[in-house]
Amino acid sequence: MKRRAALRVLGVAGLASLVAACEVGVPQTPTETATDEPTAVPTIAPTEVTVASGLRLAIDQDPDTLDPAGQTNPIASSIVEHLAETLVRLQPDGSIGPGLARKFTQATDGKSYTFELRPDVEFHDGTPLDAPAAALSLNRFLDPQLRVSMRAPFDSNLVADITPLDQLTLRIALKDRSRLFLQKLAATELAIVSPAHARAFPDSYNEEPLGTGPYRFKERRKGESVVLERFDGYWGKRATYPALQFRIVPEVATRESLLLANQVEVIIDPPLSDLPALQNNPALKIVQTPTARSTFIAMDLTLPGGTPLAIKKVRQALNYAIDRDGIIRNVLFGAATPLDAPMASTLVGYSRVGGYGYDPNRARQLLLEGGAPQLQLKMLYPTGRSLEETLFAQLAQAMAGNLHDVGVDVELIGADWATFLATINVPADKGTAHMHLFNWAPALLDASQQMTQFVRSQWPPAGLATSHYWNPKVELLVSEAARETDDQQRQDDYAEAQRIVWDDAPWVFLWSPSFLLVHSAKVQGLTAAATEKFSAAYAEPVA
Amino acid sequence: MLHYVARRLVAAVPTLLGVSIVVFLMLRLLPGDPARIVAGLLASETDVETIRHQLGLDQPAPVQYAQFLMRLAHFDLGTSVRTGQPVMYEVLARLPWTIELAATSIALAALLGIAGGVVAALYHNQRLDVVISALMLFGISMPVYWFGLMLIVVFAIKLQWLPAAGSQDPGAWILPTLTLAAFSVALIARMTRSTMLEVLRTDYVRTARAKGQMERVVIYGHALRNAMLPIVTVIGHQFGTLLGGAVLTETVFGWPGMGQLLVDALFARDYPVVQGVVLTFAALFILVNLAVDVLYGMIDPRIQYA
Repeated sequence: MKRRAALRVLGVAGLASLVAACEVGVPQTPTETATDEPTAVPTIAPTEVTVASGLRLAIDQDPDTLDPAGQTNPIASSIVEHLAETLVRLQPDGSIGPGLARKFTQATDGKSYTFELRPDVEFHDGTPLDAPAAALSLNRFLDPQLRVSMRAPFDSNLVADITPLDQLTLRIALKDRSRLFLQKLAATELAIVSPAHARAFPDSYNEEPLGTGPYRFKERRKGESVVLERFDGYWGKRATYPALQFRIVPEVATRESLLLANQVEVIIDPPLSDLPALQNNPALKIVQTPTARSTFIAMDLTLPGGTPLAIKKVRQALNYAIDRDGIIRNVLFGAATPLDAPMASTLVGYSRVGGYGYDPNRARQLLLEGGAPQLQLKMLYPTGRSLEETLFAQLAQAMAGNLHDVGVDVELIGADWATFLATINVPADKGTAHMHLFNWAPALLDASQQMTQFVRSQWPPAGLATSHYWNPKVELLVSEAARETDDQQRQDDYAEAQRIVWDDAPWVFLWSPSFLLVHSAKVQGLTAAATEKFSAAYAEPVA
Repeated sequence: MLHYVARRLVAAVPTLLGVSIVVFLMLRLLPGDPARIVAGLLASETDVETIRHQLGLDQPAPVQYAQFLMRLAHFDLGTSVRTGQPVMYEVLARLPWTIELAATSIALAALLGIAGGVVAALYHNQRLDVVISALMLFGISMPVYWFGLMLIVVFAIKLQWLPAAGSQDPGAWILPTLTLAAFSVALIARMTRSTMLEVLRTDYVRTARAKGQMERVVIYGHALRNAMLPIVTVIGHQFGTLLGGAVLTETVFGWPGMGQLLVDALFARDYPVVQGVVLTFAALFILVNLAVDVLYGMIDPRIQYA
């Protein structure tokens, strides 16, 4: 009797659970052709990706805002660039080419630019793009009421006025020459929005932006997805997919699972440890792009009470102690290139200086010569949920291992990003750790932005030159280069400055990480740039 | 009864105020500058100061708290530092998903947990009991993170039955629910088992059997009913916890719930959102406790509320 009662209890409970779970759909009918390769990661041949269904991409963070003016990071900017376009565009070779302006000229005194806009361009709300509309959009950006994180150099210190000369011609007059003016104009923040957008949101963000891009905003579910639909009034080449769905999936293993389960076609930032398996998977393709980002260990040269790292030989010793190639191979699985200058090679003004090869003997020798054969140092590193931050912990440990081999004992201190930033962003003589693992990417891909890391005027809190490094020759070269009009002379100035900084070694120069995205082999046309932005605007199924 | 509920709701107000003060203070004690985080690494010092002023963060702390209270009186939870949207909007965009996940998980956990606990009690120290107890141990010790990913590998990649992530596709709620329920099932089953064991030994159960009652009536009508009070307590408490603590499950499955909102806001030092979310959790927890207390009155006729 007891048994029957018990079985009934279980049966009811089980049935109830089944009823509750009855929303399980009929299994979709994929053509599951198992591959022969015995890989650790399950591989499944993808189903037919039809044009009718749209393209699904998985990214790791929810954009704070979709308004171009509020953009601060490349992932959100990538989405926005499908919706809104800039007057000029950054080309793959680093030069500036036409965008919404099909022609642009600089006045002989360099203090004004004239832009000739394309005719017959419409915003998503049907209004035409003309010079007055562009002026309205740009003036909205200039207005200090609107919260913009990175206005410079396109701010009221530089821009004198923006005048439509006629229906399709726009003139921007500057108070001074500016080398990075056009680069800034090509940045996502300065994408042109329609007059309705600019007028309705003069001091706040529009979460349904109205631009001129090949896709328009369709729908957004916070924390879940952003959906764009194709804009059929686009002036340029029509996009193939009728819709783009950007799904927000913070967990990297889940992103990869979505790709393997054919529930998305593209993922950004795959798990690096699975790169070999993903590379061997014939159903997938990896797009690996060099970036403008540098990863480094910044040494604080002005700790209260002094620091052994103030001695140049000690700093150079640390540079020789790190096995960059080994770490790139074993921890980053090839997704980085060692630095051979104080900046990534994709920057304008980069000049190859040379390498600090892996030489533990030389490191020990230099430590002896520097008078610090046994050192105990503290290193800070950021922790967090993003892929990059989880990697930092592994990298820090690997490098602590390298340093231990040459007699340097490193105490590792992890802190969440906000705490980390607050700890390193301190004036000279206020630091609390000898060094910190960090990375830095100049937004406008220019050497001048990277060199701010090595000048006194950018010491915190004014800037983020957290190593508190100062060399009068470098200061001179950098300020001369900023004013230099002759390209070759400027290149030479930066080359000399980079050579000095490399030798002074305020950083342990590590590598430039690559930007990775993985997509189904049945899709092509996805692009990525050194700015870590990607585009699916010209994606299409493989024929 | 209504009187009792009203009094409890009124008493909730000072509790919520206390929570708001504690959260406010703790946030301000954390190192980290929201203005700098929002502005980004490349912003200049002037930009950061402008943003700090725009966000009202350059005011002294008591002034900020007073402003927060005044807005709260109008049910305005403030504006998110990161997105510029009202905190109420950010919370309401995710609250239904959190409630859905917590409710389905607790329902599943209660069904399986009570069933399992009753069976384990009836078969005390026999094979079935050992098996169920082992499963309970598994449920309590298994990391959510690992279990969730295993479910994804099996059901999404291998079998292709269910979506790996998200909340929109049909059946997307199943894997997160299973993952989240695992821990609660074990707790509820454990409590059910031990309470049932106690109750099954009592005189009135022996009398009921001696009277010739059907076994089914003895177990459900007499034993389980008397065991329900502690079980309902655990279920209520678990529901409150699930409402607030599902962030790992939400992260693994890309489920747009409030846990993720809270963690992201905390990392970014988005003070208004953190305050708003914590207050919402506190309010929900208070409501769940109230519901449990009311349920007591319904289950046990001996309990009366003035």
